[in-house]
Amino acid sequence: MANEENGDDLKGRLDSLSTALDAQHKASQERKADSGPTDDAGRSIGRAMNLGFRVLSEFVAAIVVGGLMGWKLDDWLKTSPLFLILFLGAGTAAGFWNVYRIATQPGGMK
Amino acid sequence: MAEQTLDPIHQFHIDRLVDLHPFGIDASFTNAALFMVIVVLAVSFLMILGTGSRSLVPGRLQSAAEMTYEFVANTVHLSAGHEGMKFFPFVFTLFMFVLFSNLIGIVPYTFTVTSQIIVTFAFALLVISLVILYGVFRHGVHFLKLFVPSGVSIALVPFLIMIEVISFLSRPISLSVRLFANMLAGHITLKVMGGFVAALLGAGAYAVIAPLPLLMVVILTGFEILVAVLQAYVFAILTCVYLNDAIHPGH
Repeated sequence: MANEENGDDLKGRLDSLSTALDAQHKASQERKADSGPTDDAGRSIGRAMNLGFRVLSEFVAAIVVGGLMGWKLDDWLKTSPLFLILFLGAGTAAGFWNVYRIATQPGGMK
Repeated sequence: MAEQTLDPIHQFHIDRLVDLHPFGIDASFTNAALFMVIVVLAVSFLMILGTGSRSLVPGRLQSAAEMTYEFVANTVHLSAGHEGMKFFPFVFTLFMFVLFSNLIGIVPYTFTVTSQIIVTFAFALLVISLVILYGVFRHGVHFLKLFVPSGVSIALVPFLIMIEVISFLSRPISLSVRLFANMLAGHITLKVMGGFVAALLGAGAYAVIAPLPLLMVVILTGFEILVAVLQAYVFAILTCVYLNDAIHPGH
């Protein structure tokens, strides 16, 4: 008699536990489905920002280096502003070349 | 004092903690040096304690150490190939130092080592000198092939060599400025937003909208953590890309 009661008790507890587990499982899956797209959005924003910063800095850095080289050459050779103009143009070309290289790199746009 | 705490640039000020002038060189122990030591200690703590137990089922610390190791190892292998793995210790050290100084810098009242351009530029120079030294040591004169694109008409070659040289010289600058500018801009933005909160609270009826910039600070802090990790990763991956040029010159 006592045993049977215990068995019923156990069964009841097991049932309630399994329903609770199911609910938990469903909720966690829903949560996962909810957070999925936002996580992806965050990652793609990060990736796009990273790429943007790379393109910007490589482009600007090449122009700055070209300008500095031309300016210093003019300073030494007293040919101002011949080399400044030449190297500024070359620096801009190098900047575009850097950006082109990033864009054509396999996986560079990722 | 109140004016000073609202100054967004003040956080980048370098203070001498211990004055040292051996042989007339200013080698004082500054707050920047202190945080470099803290970063090195933190990295060592993670790696030594994390790999100390060497259990088959890793604990938290061990899996953190193993994850960073595998992540950087994969990055190096993917972008510099099998031969690039001999530079793994170098890239891993750089990555961990940059990552930890970026992350520790987000904690209030700390100093961000990577927000100093001289630090990031020193890293970039280290990377580029390693590229040049290894390239010359490994390939000799053939390393210069890096500057001569193949399959171009002779008339264009001098012009293209000039462009390639400028492009090569711009690498350390873009590498260092990117990291430095991201850290600097992020921390200034955080400080300015924080300053708005304080200023609005002290502005009578306008105190009602003070929570708005506070919300911005919370969002921006999360964003800063993303930037910190991302910039460390970018620094590591670009180091690998440049090292790959040294290992395989001639496109």
